[in-house]
Amino acid sequence: MPDVAAVSESAAMPARSAAPIIRVDGITLRFGGVTALADVSFEIGASEIHAIIGPNGAGKSCTLNCLNGFNLPQQGRLFLREQEITGFAPHRIARLGVGRTFQGLQLFAGLSVVDNLLTGRHLHMKTGALEGFIYRGWAHAEELRERRRVEEIIDFLEIKNIRHKLVGSLSYGLRKRVDLGRALAMDPKVLLMDEPMAGMNLEEKEDIVRFVIDIREALDIPIVIVEHDMHVVMDIADRITVLDWGHVIARGNPQAIKSDPTVIKAYLGAEVRR
Amino acid sequence: MTLPGGVHAETYAQDRALIRTPWQWLWFAAFVAVLLLLPFLRPGGAVGIATVIGITLIAVLGLQLTSGCAGQINMGQSAFMGVGAYAAGALAVHLHWSFLMTIPIGGISAAVFGAVFGLAALRIKGFYLALTTIAAQYIFTFAMLKLPKEWFGQSEGLRMDPAVLGSFAFDTDNRIYYLVLAFAALMTYGAWGLMRSRTGRAFIAVRDNDNAAEVIGINVFYYKTLAFFIGAFYAGVAGALWAYYVRYVQADQFTLWLSVWYVGMLIVGGMGSILGAIVGTVVIRLLQELITVVGPQITDLLPTLGGQFVFAAMNMLLGGLIIVFVIFEPRGLVHRWNIVKESYRIWPFPH
Repeated sequence: MPDVAAVSESAAMPARSAAPIIRVDGITLRFGGVTALADVSFEIGASEIHAIIGPNGAGKSCTLNCLNGFNLPQQGRLFLREQEITGFAPHRIARLGVGRTFQGLQLFAGLSVVDNLLTGRHLHMKTGALEGFIYRGWAHAEELRERRRVEEIIDFLEIKNIRHKLVGSLSYGLRKRVDLGRALAMDPKVLLMDEPMAGMNLEEKEDIVRFVIDIREALDIPIVIVEHDMHVVMDIADRITVLDWGHVIARGNPQAIKSDPTVIKAYLGAEVRR
Repeated sequence: MTLPGGVHAETYAQDRALIRTPWQWLWFAAFVAVLLLLPFLRPGGAVGIATVIGITLIAVLGLQLTSGCAGQINMGQSAFMGVGAYAAGALAVHLHWSFLMTIPIGGISAAVFGAVFGLAALRIKGFYLALTTIAAQYIFTFAMLKLPKEWFGQSEGLRMDPAVLGSFAFDTDNRIYYLVLAFAALMTYGAWGLMRSRTGRAFIAVRDNDNAAEVIGINVFYYKTLAFFIGAFYAGVAGALWAYYVRYVQADQFTLWLSVWYVGMLIVGGMGSILGAIVGTVVIRLLQELITVVGPQITDLLPTLGGQFVFAAMNMLLGGLIIVFVIFEPRGLVHRWNIVKESYRIWPFPH
């Protein structure tokens, strides 16, 4: 996180480049007889906030899981900056720069906040088991160097006072913040967020929204966000992809989505007037 | 964790130090001094007990890394120990290699054997993994009794000469005690280093949430196998030391029974903490020694009970102790100690 504050204060809107960071090309994912995703395609451009919305069971989390490598689609291909990542193991995809926050609480409960964030630095660290065993020179120096990096994120997320607490003892909102910090520690090239605001109160939601916008401006990375809170989505998303029963039923900017009859039907069950 | 009053870290290095206050240094120095001077303070029995505790500690530390820290249940630690003992023993007996070579090679042999069983951990978890590692125990015993007699001596086992360094032979209780102490100190230091570096955090990440670990780029398969590799390496070193201590290696010395006791030591001490492994080993080992002292005395007082009954009852008491811990303090003595320390430091406030 180099100089998050400094960059966000300059408020420079990042320049958009034409090449997509992520390209999802016609993926179909089935579990037995259930088709979770049917021929889903979309692109995520550089430094855009892209929301994926849809009713429950629409396939939003499945889409993220495919991008992460947890689910292997039966058909279709996934690209990260022109490199095909279909079928890669999740840790390989992480190595290529895909960071992710989770639905619910998926932290390492037995580690402190600092150590949770340091696990996010795992990819960028090199100390092996033998150097760890010896713990002299290199291993120690690397720990201190990465600690400094992690402290920048702690600063940014305003969690200084809890850095040594076990995450198991923290409130829900703070834990979600640590989850975000752990993903940021990976220095991601693209950030996937799965329902970052579910179960939060208004203040906690406002904090997360502020962080999301700051991250985009400071790091100039695209953020893919799955979220149910429509006010938030309409406010912060540049583009929206709407899923229903595994199909993409609409895509476009918030204004277009708000008035799209198929979206209204999917959400409200209203008949489409012709 | 609250720090003692007035102690503040001013650098990240200070914030990571294991020993933070002058009093902690003093206690640590006193502890080291007692360990070093033990043969002079209490010659005889105490040294023998301390030697066995030292060897057991190395094996339990290994189990702590595999099971307590990385969360991979292992009921075959004593078989891994046996592999180390046999490997070191065979090299010493047949090829007359120095213990400086045979002990590390014993460790590596056990580590490879352990890692093979660790491969199973990718697919299976918990109870089923425990059963798989129990299989290691039986494969080990079977192999040692069936492999050619020229290698491991089958049921006769291996008889060994003492470890020799130049013209100095580790052939008395005191001498072997210092050898074990040196190894135990090294392995403890190493375990602490491992757990506060990248590898240790990856272990805990895999234990607490393997999906999230995978997503942030930790190769879960690699770290599960590595956890078995390192844990079994510790067992192998312990086994090799055991071989040099009793100077006789035989498959019956490394039973499933022993593996279960090691798990019991972890539970009493505290899962996932290096200090817990030390406390658990010392407490259970001392209680076991106490039984061998008190048992005969009870038999003398009440001859009608019979020696068999007394020993069985004492073992049941020890087993009962572990059950009590599982129910009332599953996080072990170290956790209880931390609570006491914390409430002392923040007194008179409750939290």
